[in-house]
Amino acid sequence: MRLRIQWEQIVWYIILVVLLVSSLAPIVWMLSTSFKPEAQIGTTEIRWIPKTFTLENYQRVVDQFDIFGWLVNSIVVAVIATVLVLILDSLAGYALARMEFAGRNLMFILVISMLFVPIQITVVPLFLIFSKVNLTDTFPALILPIGANVTGVFIMRQFFMSIPSELEDAAYVDGAGAFRIWWSIVLPLARSASTAVAIVTFLSAWNSFFWPLIVTRTDAVRTLPVGIAQFMSTRPGQSMNAQAYGMSMAGAVFAAAPPIIFFYVLQRQFIRGITTTGLKG
Amino acid sequence: MSFTEWTIVGSPEFTGLANYQDMLSDQRFLTALKNTVRFVAFTVPALIVLSLLVAIFLNQARRGRALGRVAVFTPYVLMPTVVGVIWTWLLEKDFGLINVYLGKLGIPGPPWLVDPDYAMFGIIVTTVWWTVGFNTVLFLAGLQDIPEEYYEAAQIDGANRMQVFFLITIPLLSPTIFMVILLSIINSFQVFDQVYVMTSGGPGTATLTLVHYIYTTAFQFRKMGYGAAVASVLFAILITFALLQIRLYRRGVRGIDG
Repeated sequence: MRLRIQWEQIVWYIILVVLLVSSLAPIVWMLSTSFKPEAQIGTTEIRWIPKTFTLENYQRVVDQFDIFGWLVNSIVVAVIATVLVLILDSLAGYALARMEFAGRNLMFILVISMLFVPIQITVVPLFLIFSKVNLTDTFPALILPIGANVTGVFIMRQFFMSIPSELEDAAYVDGAGAFRIWWSIVLPLARSASTAVAIVTFLSAWNSFFWPLIVTRTDAVRTLPVGIAQFMSTRPGQSMNAQAYGMSMAGAVFAAAPPIIFFYVLQRQFIRGITTTGLKG
Repeated sequence: MSFTEWTIVGSPEFTGLANYQDMLSDQRFLTALKNTVRFVAFTVPALIVLSLLVAIFLNQARRGRALGRVAVFTPYVLMPTVVGVIWTWLLEKDFGLINVYLGKLGIPGPPWLVDPDYAMFGIIVTTVWWTVGFNTVLFLAGLQDIPEEYYEAAQIDGANRMQVFFLITIPLLSPTIFMVILLSIINSFQVFDQVYVMTSGGPGTATLTLVHYIYTTAFQFRKMGYGAAVASVLFAILITFALLQIRLYRRGVRGIDG
C-alpha cells in the first residue's frame, strides 16, 4: 500500500515536470536566444544558458524598428478600448437587464446574434466604412471595433439579472435617477463581472492582429502584433538566415513580457475572466 | 456586398451570384477551404483530448498543481504573432531546437515550415501548444462544478478509477466538453495570425486558410466583393456551429424575458 502511494507520487511529479517543460521550454528558449551573439545562434550545439550574454539583438531591434512606438500604441489602444467597453457594456447590460423599453427583447436577440460574428467576417464592410470616412490608419479605427464588442454587454446583462433589485428599488424610492443608481449602486456591486470583462477585453485588444494589420499603414498607429509580424514577413514562407532569429526573439521578448507579468500578478482574476467569458460568452 | 464586383476605387457593380459561381471553380478557394477543414480536424481533437487529460491531472489535490496550472496557461497569454515567431525558430530546419533534438535521437527532422507536406503540421503543433491552456482552464472550471458527493458515493460503492472517470466525470462534464468542442471548432476555423507569421499561406498554397484567403483577395488584390463572398461562406460555417452552441447553451441562459 505504502509502496503504491509512493509510485503514484513519482508518476505525478514526472507528468508535472513534462507539463512544465513542454509549456515553458519554448519561452525559455526564446529568452535564451535573444541574449546570444550571432555565432551561438546558428549552431546545432544546444545551450540553454548562453556562453556569453549580449544585448546586441535588443539594440538592433530598437535601432531598426519603432518598437517603443508600437508598444505605446498597443497600450493606448488596449487601455482606451477597455475603458470604453467597461462604460458602454455596463450601461447597455444594465438597460437590457432592468429597464422596460420597446424593442428590448429584439435588442437582446441582436446582441446574442452578434456574439457569433467575429471581425474576420465583417472585415470587408468594416474597412470600407472606415475608408469612406477617411479614418483608416488612425486610433479610432483600431479602437472602435473593439469598443463595439457585445460579449461584455452579454456578461454584464447576465450579471445584473442575477443580483436582487431591492437595493435599486430602495434608491429609486429615495429619489435617485437611473443614471445615479447605475453609477453608485450597481457598478460597485458588479466589480467581479467588470474585472472579468476588463481583463478579457484588454487581452484581446492587446493580441488583436487581423484588423490592425488591415487598417494600419504607418508606424504612427501600428501596434505590437503587427510590428512583430514584420520581423518574419521579410521572406514569407522561406527559411530565414538562422542568425536573424536573435533579433526576432528579442522583439518577441519585448511583446511577450508585459502580458506574462500582467498574468502572473493577476492570476486569479485572469482565470476567472477566462472562465466567465469563455463558457458563458 | 458579396453580390458585387468591387475594387476599392469606383462603385460596386451588381453581379448577382457570379462571385459564388466563381468560387466553385476557384482552385485557391477550394484549397483554402480544404486546408482549413484539415486544420480544424487535427487541432480540435488534439486540443480536447490533451486539455481534458491535463485538466483531470491538475484537478488532483497534490503538491505543485497551482504551478502546473500557471505554466500550462502561460502560452495562451502570448499574442499569436509572438507564438508564431517563437515556433518558426523552434521549427527551423537546420538549427531549430526541435530538429536538433530529433537529430540527437537519430531521427532526421523534416524541414517543417518550408516543406508543403509538413508546413500545416507545424502550424497545428504551434496552435495546440498555444491553446491547450485555455481549454484546460475551462475544463478545470467544469470539473470543480461536479459535487464532491458523487465521488464520495462512488468510493463507498467501491468503484475503481476507470469507473469513476467514465461513469461520473465524463457524463457530468459533458456539457462543458460540448461547449469547449464547439468553441474550439469556431476558433480554429478563423485561424490566421500564426499562418500569416509562420508561412504566409505557403509554401505554395500548402497552408492557405479561409481567413488568409479573405485577406489576400480583399486587401491585397482589392477584390472587395469576392472577399466578402468568401467571408460569407466562412460565416455560414461558423453560424452552423454557433446555432448548435446556442441550443446547448439555452438551458443555462435565463429566458429572454428574464
